[in-house]
Amino acid sequence: MSLRYLLLSAVVGMAGCASDPAPFEQMRLTERALEQAAAVGATTSTQEYRLAEERFALAKKNMQEQDYRRARMLAEQAELDARLAEALTLRGESEQAITVQNARIERLRKQLGSLR
Amino acid sequence: MKWFLWVAPALLLCSGCTGSLGRQELADAQLLFDQVKSDPQVLESAPRDVSRAGESLARAEGFAAHWGTDADVEHYAYLSQRYSQIAREHDQLVRNQQQSQRLQREQDRLQQMLREARLLSAQQRSEWLDEQLQRLATMETERGLVMIIGDVLFEPGSSELNLSASRTALQLVQFLQLNPRRLVRIEGYTDSRGEAEENRELSRLRAQSVAQTLVDMGVAAERLQVIGYGEAHPVAENASARGRAANRRVEIVFSDENGQLGAER
Repeated sequence: MSLRYLLLSAVVGMAGCASDPAPFEQMRLTERALEQAAAVGATTSTQEYRLAEERFALAKKNMQEQDYRRARMLAEQAELDARLAEALTLRGESEQAITVQNARIERLRKQLGSLR
Repeated sequence: MKWFLWVAPALLLCSGCTGSLGRQELADAQLLFDQVKSDPQVLESAPRDVSRAGESLARAEGFAAHWGTDADVEHYAYLSQRYSQIAREHDQLVRNQQQSQRLQREQDRLQQMLREARLLSAQQRSEWLDEQLQRLATMETERGLVMIIGDVLFEPGSSELNLSASRTALQLVQFLQLNPRRLVRIEGYTDSRGEAEENRELSRLRAQSVAQTLVDMGVAAERLQVIGYGEAHPVAENASARGRAANRRVEIVFSDENGQLGAER
């Protein structure tokens, strides 16, 4: 029993990098993460978004070259780069909104002060 | 058994040890993960990302400790860092949104205070308004309080109000806002030139125009009655230009405090 597992895992282990399956699903996930980031307004002015695009482009190239292991790694990294870009963009927007609100409150306080 | 399943190929492959770059990435990932996992607020607002940061970190450590290549260690350490960063950003977003809501409430509160302060100063002005009204108006026993808007407030031959009429209208609006139970009848009058029927129509249009201005400024239309009397009820003789000018007018008849309007003429 344990010998069979040992052999099996040895085979799988040795097969390793040479025959990683093509990461189609990961490529789709990454593409969607990039679209999602762009949809909330992330652009190449965000370093993380640039990284995501560059890595995804490389991953596509690796897919064509059937270097699936590298393609998967790059696509996984690109997915999280894109998600971070999205989170940074949303956080930045929420900070801008706070700045606007603070200015508005400041104006209201002044108006109130001038009435008293 | 499972442990053996994973270690076996590692032993067979026996890959090289982790390089300094991988160790650096791993240390960074560990530091970031320690920060986010010890922050209960981050845990609450981004639990999935925190736990994925932990899983990725564990994989990176596994690779570093056993059989992984430098690239594997770096990769999972990188993913772990990203998950931690995403969790932190997400948490910051949630905090900002909460602050935004607080600020919105503060803004609403201030706006409310400002409205009240303005109303208060309007009430202080109301004494002045009352005086103004008394000055503009003439008491007439059977008709109540009457305010006369002269024809200078209309563009000649037109029923459009000019600018100074709008200012008078604004005072009227404020008065009506401070006296919510009072109603008004807006009566239009002309001089005796021209056809009587046309004059009635013109006088009604002018009265309507005043009413429309009040409605535009927020007075409920139900509080306003509009009548055109034409050349009837002159206040001066129609022989002179001066007398005719005095006859071209709009009179605002105010009800008493209880909304009781005097009878129509």
